[in-house]
Amino acid sequence: MAEVSSGPVPYVYVCTRMRVRKSKLIPREDYLRLLNMGLPEITRFIEETEYKKEIDELAPSFQGIDLVELALSWNLAKEYQQIQKITPGTLKEFTRSYLRRWDIQNVLTILRGKTQGMSAGKIREVLVPAGELDRVFLDRLIKEETPARIVEALKGHFVYPVISQGLDEALEKESFARIENELYKQFYEELLAEARSGFRGGKQFLEYILLDIDFTNIRNMFRLRKDYRDEDYRSMVVPGGTFSAEEFQHLISTGDQKEFIGVLKEKVRLKPLIAMLDMLEGEKSLREIEIELIKVQLSHMESLSKLNPFSIHPILTYLEKKKYEIFNLRAIARGKDVSLPVERIRSYLVM
Amino acid sequence: MAELDIAVQVAEASQIGLKALGAALSVGLTGIATAIAEMSIGSAAVGATAENKDVFGLVLLLTVIPETIVIFGLVVSLLMLF
Repeated sequence: MAEVSSGPVPYVYVCTRMRVRKSKLIPREDYLRLLNMGLPEITRFIEETEYKKEIDELAPSFQGIDLVELALSWNLAKEYQQIQKITPGTLKEFTRSYLRRWDIQNVLTILRGKTQGMSAGKIREVLVPAGELDRVFLDRLIKEETPARIVEALKGHFVYPVISQGLDEALEKESFARIENELYKQFYEELLAEARSGFRGGKQFLEYILLDIDFTNIRNMFRLRKDYRDEDYRSMVVPGGTFSAEEFQHLISTGDQKEFIGVLKEKVRLKPLIAMLDMLEGEKSLREIEIELIKVQLSHMESLSKLNPFSIHPILTYLEKKKYEIFNLRAIARGKDVSLPVERIRSYLVM
Repeated sequence: MAELDIAVQVAEASQIGLKALGAALSVGLTGIATAIAEMSIGSAAVGATAENKDVFGLVLLLTVIPETIVIFGLVVSLLMLF
C-alpha cells in the first residue's frame, strides 16, 4: 500500500471535491417536486442534472423506465470509478475495499437472475459495476449458461471460496441468503483487518466500519424479529461490532417490542440512534424503521465527516449519499411507472 | 583612544548586522507561514474549481489572502532597515 508522501494536500483536494459533489446532490424539495411528475417529466428532470451524459448516451437504444434505470446504474458506477481514480494513497485502498460490496451485490444479482430465468438485458439494468469486477467481466458472467459456470468464471476472486462452497445448497433451497450472509461477514472481516493494519487514516475507517456493522446488525434484528421462527440465528450476526452472537440471538427472541427496544437502547451509545429508538415505541412498519435507521446512519456519518474533514469520512459520506440518491430516483421512477400512490412512493425515500 | 574607536565601530557593525538578520527572519518566517497556509487553501481551491469552474474567481481570492502575512513581514523588515 503506497504511503502518501506529500502531506495533507491530496487529502484536502479530494475531500473538497467530495464536499462540492455532495452539495450538488438532489435536495429534498426536488424529490417532493418529482413525486408530482410523470415518468417522461422525471426523465427530463434527471437529464437536466448530473445524469445528462448517461441519458443522452442511452436515449437512442432505451426508453421509459429502462432508460432511467440504466442511466442511474451507469452514473453510479461511473461516479464510483472516478472517485477511486482521484483518491490518494491509503484512502484509495480503503475506498476500493469499501466498494467491493458492489461485487458481492452484482454476483448475487446475476446468480439470482439466472436461476429465476431473467433475461440478460434485465439483469444488466440493475448491475452497478463499481467494484473490482468491471462491466466487461460482468457481461461475461451474464452470458454464462449455468450458475455453476458463473462460479467457475469467478475463480481467483475473493467471492469464489464462499460461493463455490454454498452453491449446491443454495440451488437446492432456491435461496442465496446464506451465501449472501457469509459473503458480507467475510467482507466486513477483511475491512476490519485492513482498518486495523496500522495504515494512516485506518482509525477513521475503523470508526465507519464499526458503525456500519452495528447498523447492519440492528437492521437484521428488526427484519428477523418480523418473521421470527424458533431458530438459531447466531450465525447471522456480523461479528466485530457492539453485538455478540448471543446478544443478537437474545434480542431477536425477545418477544415484546418495548422490551427489545429497551435492551437495544442500553447497548447502543449513539445519541441520535437512541432518540430514534425512543420514537419507535409506537407501531411502525419495517420499511419505516429501515428508512429511519438509514437516516440516522447518514446523519452520524455527516457529523463524523465534519469532525475529521480530511479523512476517509467525507468520501464515504458522499458515496453513501449518492447511493441513496440513486435509490430514491429509482424508487420514484419505478413507482410512477406502475402508478403507485404518491404517499406510498414517498415512504420509500431517504430524504 | 584608538581602542575605543574600534569598539564603537564593532558595535555599529553588529547593530547593522543584527538589523539585517532581523529583517531576513521577518521576511523568511512569514514567507514560510504564508506557504503553509496557502498549501491547504490552494489544494482545496483546485479541488473546488475541478468540480465547479464558476468558483475560480472566488477561490483565487481566498488563496491569496494569506499573502498578507508575508506583506506584514516585508513591511516590518523595511521599517527595520530604513
